[in-house]
Amino acid sequence: MTLMQRLFEPRSIRTMAPGTKVLVYSVLLFWTAFVLFPIYWVLITSFKTAVDVNGGPVYLPFIDFQPSLHAWKELFVFDYKDTLRAYMNSLIIALSSTAASVLIGSMAAYALARFEYRPKFGVVLMFVLMMIAVFVAVGKYGVDWRLSTAVGVAIFYFLARALGRHFSASLGNGDILFWMISQRILAPIVVVVPIYMMFQQVRLLDTHIAVILTYTVINLPIVIWLMYDFFRSIPYDLEESAQLDGATRLGVFFDIVLPLSRTGLAATTLLVMILSWNEYLLALFLSTSKAQTMPILVAAMNAGERGILWWSMSVVIIVMIIPVIVLAIILQRYISKGLLLGAVKG
Amino acid sequence: MTVVLDKISKSFGAVKVLHDLSLDVQDGEFLVLLGASGSGKSTALRMIAGLETVTAGSISISGRDVTEELPKNRDVAMVFQSYALYPHKTVAENIGYPLKIRRMNRTDMEAQVRDVAAQVQLDALLDRYPRELSGGQRQRVALARAMVRRPAVFLMDEPLSNLDAKLRGHMRAELKHMQHELGITTIYVTHDQVEAMTLAHRVALLEGGKLQQLATPKVIYDDPENLFTAQFIGSPPMNVAHGTLDAGTFVVGEDRVATGGGASVKNAVIGLRAEDCRVVAPDQGAIRAKLFANELIGDHTLVTAKVGEDMLSIKAPKDFEAGFDEAIGIAFDPDRIYMFDKDTGARIRQG
Repeated sequence: MTLMQRLFEPRSIRTMAPGTKVLVYSVLLFWTAFVLFPIYWVLITSFKTAVDVNGGPVYLPFIDFQPSLHAWKELFVFDYKDTLRAYMNSLIIALSSTAASVLIGSMAAYALARFEYRPKFGVVLMFVLMMIAVFVAVGKYGVDWRLSTAVGVAIFYFLARALGRHFSASLGNGDILFWMISQRILAPIVVVVPIYMMFQQVRLLDTHIAVILTYTVINLPIVIWLMYDFFRSIPYDLEESAQLDGATRLGVFFDIVLPLSRTGLAATTLLVMILSWNEYLLALFLSTSKAQTMPILVAAMNAGERGILWWSMSVVIIVMIIPVIVLAIILQRYISKGLLLGAVKG
Repeated sequence: MTVVLDKISKSFGAVKVLHDLSLDVQDGEFLVLLGASGSGKSTALRMIAGLETVTAGSISISGRDVTEELPKNRDVAMVFQSYALYPHKTVAENIGYPLKIRRMNRTDMEAQVRDVAAQVQLDALLDRYPRELSGGQRQRVALARAMVRRPAVFLMDEPLSNLDAKLRGHMRAELKHMQHELGITTIYVTHDQVEAMTLAHRVALLEGGKLQQLATPKVIYDDPENLFTAQFIGSPPMNVAHGTLDAGTFVVGEDRVATGGGASVKNAVIGLRAEDCRVVAPDQGAIRAKLFANELIGDHTLVTAKVGEDMLSIKAPKDFEAGFDEAIGIAFDPDRIYMFDKDTGARIRQG
């Protein structure tokens, strides 16, 4: 037994001495209570009346205070339309944007992990300059955007073909990957106003599609980054073998690569789902009423004239964590080790 | 089906790993690409499979030019050194995968999978996952998966090198028998000369990306084209002694050996197989040597003798005995001598 194992790999609880067992269980119990207490607190708060909340801490229903359904009634009987709409919005937006970013992101990550791209630095620069020229033409000189885009793309295409070969400096997959991650390093607050303006221009503010698109884009770098590592860990032999067996590249991706990266997909999906589910800043800008999501509703609870509505906030928080818990339970069985065992060698 | 390689070359950037390799593989032939690591043998195989692009030259399979074809359109099956079994599929699903891609109907597919599995004694394991199999069983799944769709060509990349020695010998025999039964053209890559000699109809020996010799195992052993082939094939490898060739007489130290030819080469090498040499009294042999060590192998004694700076191995009878540093003579039949030019490595053929 190495020192590492002795110190960090616990023995089975059955082989422990009774004294140690008691100690281990009490530490575990304490930690469980520590982790679960906030959830318990939120749960009982949702059944408290204003008097019980404001009168100092009380913990035990029926003993310390008389539970009341008033907060639940308020949200699900009187205001049920608002609550339900926000809930459905959150579900639709989080699920669609998660699905889209995981699908697109994992394909992008696969391409980066398996194909070598060597775009010329000069060509990329040329494309950026051409885009600026198109914007200037449209914005400053009032050229029709369709015309200027078409001309810009055509000029870029011919210039890239004519001059592309003469540039020597080229970028690699690492540069592309870093560029994608850098999009996430940028704080969202920086792009909130431009994004708002963009959706205002195309008249998509306060629609599902605007929020879904935005969430998909901001989550893509995370998906690409995580999935890139998973795809790299799959032996390339398997994919070559599938190609020789007759599969197309897309077939290899769906038949071999995706099933083998279930672990990574499950973890990534869960993470992205939680990020979209909890997102506040962008939702605040992009939605006013029709596309409002749950985090906005929660925040609204402490902004009213009546002060902070702890009881209502608790109700919303409880219904909000339920889908995440359900998803975590569904996905956690995939997040297990040993999936690649037996693939190569032995 | 035939496979024809016409002067194929491969470069990775500035590094050229394969130089103008031309091979003509006959229908039903078992051809072994033999070479040390870095000789370009695996690259050549991967180019035939379509997993590597061809820098120059062309490849045709069954008379069809496939140089630019995708792997899936070449009708070849490959067994990887790592087996490359799909870990999330059962044995039956692994074997059936090539058929599933071809959209074969379920009943036909199951029948064929069972058929092939029976051929390689896997019928009892069809529901297992690769991780639940031993090395030899995984190897057989990989073989079955290659066999199931009856490809034009089998490609095998060191398929036996991950097995233990005993199993390897057994699988070698099975492989040879199976290839004979199926009659499918097979190209097999190995670094193990025993595998090459025992399995092949013809052996193509590669070194430094160049073809050294293409011949049947018997010819490649008995009649090597150059010094590299001579020293690569055979266990122990062919003995060499450095000297000069003076009008057909090989001069090593103070000994002169008539070789039966008339050539003169300043830096010459004489090659002798261990089993063609005999240990005799110092003054009776063609070359005088000093005994360096003798090792009893079982059915014979392997004597290592020192001639100048060269070490020669000689197979002596098992009751041979001699002390260290004892002077001995080495005798051999003049017909069994191989002469090489040290500088070019080329064989010097006598009259």
